[in-house]
Amino acid sequence: MAAAPKFAKTHEWIRLDDDGLATVGISAYAVEALTDLVFMQLPEVGRAVKAGESIGEIESVKAVSDFYAPVSGEVVAVNAALPGNLETLGQDPYGAGWLVKLRPADTAELGTLLDQAAYDTLVKSQPH
Amino acid sequence: MPDASATSGLIAWWDEPAPGPENMAADEVLAAEAVALDRPLVRIYGWSEPTVSLGGFQRLADARAATVIAGLPLVRRPSGGGAIVHGTDLTYAVAVPRSHAWGGDPQVLYDVFHESLAAELRERGVAALRHPGRDRAAGDDERLLCFDRRARGDLVVQTAAGGTDGDKILGSAQRRLRGAVLQHGSLLLEPPPIPTATHPGLLRLHPPAAAWDLRQLVVAWLTRVAAESGGPLDSHAAAYAPARARLIADAAARFREAAWLGRR
Repeated sequence: MAAAPKFAKTHEWIRLDDDGLATVGISAYAVEALTDLVFMQLPEVGRAVKAGESIGEIESVKAVSDFYAPVSGEVVAVNAALPGNLETLGQDPYGAGWLVKLRPADTAELGTLLDQAAYDTLVKSQPH
Repeated sequence: MPDASATSGLIAWWDEPAPGPENMAADEVLAAEAVALDRPLVRIYGWSEPTVSLGGFQRLADARAATVIAGLPLVRRPSGGGAIVHGTDLTYAVAVPRSHAWGGDPQVLYDVFHESLAAELRERGVAALRHPGRDRAAGDDERLLCFDRRARGDLVVQTAAGGTDGDKILGSAQRRLRGAVLQHGSLLLEPPPIPTATHPGLLRLHPPAAAWDLRQLVVAWLTRVAAESGGPLDSHAAAYAPARARLIADAAARFREAAWLGRR
């Protein structure tokens, strides 16, 4: 069974899967804040990324936002169906709305991220 | 230098017209400075020649194929939204730290700037109001020009019948960076410098505005914006860019690259 997701302060979630890979997406809070998504750019498979590095961009009607790698590693898969079906992000942000799969360089990095309770506290403190 | 001891309000600078890459670079520097000072900062500026700024993800091929803007220099903004033909507009950039009350919900910053101008214009006799936004089926995302689109909060001048389908005079778009939100906006004063321009601009829609002191209008607008954060407007007499020329020149190089302009 996959582990519970952890969260970055920049609103990405990451979940360590049974195969040792990590699935990354954007939290429901962040997706809802963006509203009316129109375009998404995902990273190339094979790209080496560092924790905190921008790995893609998403555009809503009014705003372009980056999303960031929660941990260092290699991009081993992207959700290629997502840019053509952006509504999936809002409908199922923790499932079918996943963005990329990473091979983490060091799974211990996940320990530096927020658990669900800590992330919920962060969200409540965000400016509205 | 700005008074970094104050925690509310707005600091604003006015810059001389500059080429597209330098303008985009100056706004990037502004965003970094907003994070460093932990204050909202505004830059008001013009363009040294008529220029089309493309939204962050608009297709370059679409812009190249549009005969209406043929021959005009292009620059790609980091912010989203549609293309703007600059030259008869007043452009602003505001950079707000993500921790600021305006750094959360994108609509909040959009509405603060737009409603503050609407209120100032209404006091001057212009029937300005925020558009409720159109349904996605209207296809606004596919329209090249910002002033052909209608997003929620866009500023329009009310039609004679009292509806919201009037001409748009102010549109804005954001780039949400790690530490700051950068919002670009364009207040259209006169029809853009392109053939068959269909956007009249504020001065055509409200002829008495031609006699207004534009700087006074903007100061009144930004004073209202600053008041929304509970502070004053600190409007600088000095320009922003000259004191940061080195930083801006370095940043402008990226905005000149073909890879940036052609990223989509």
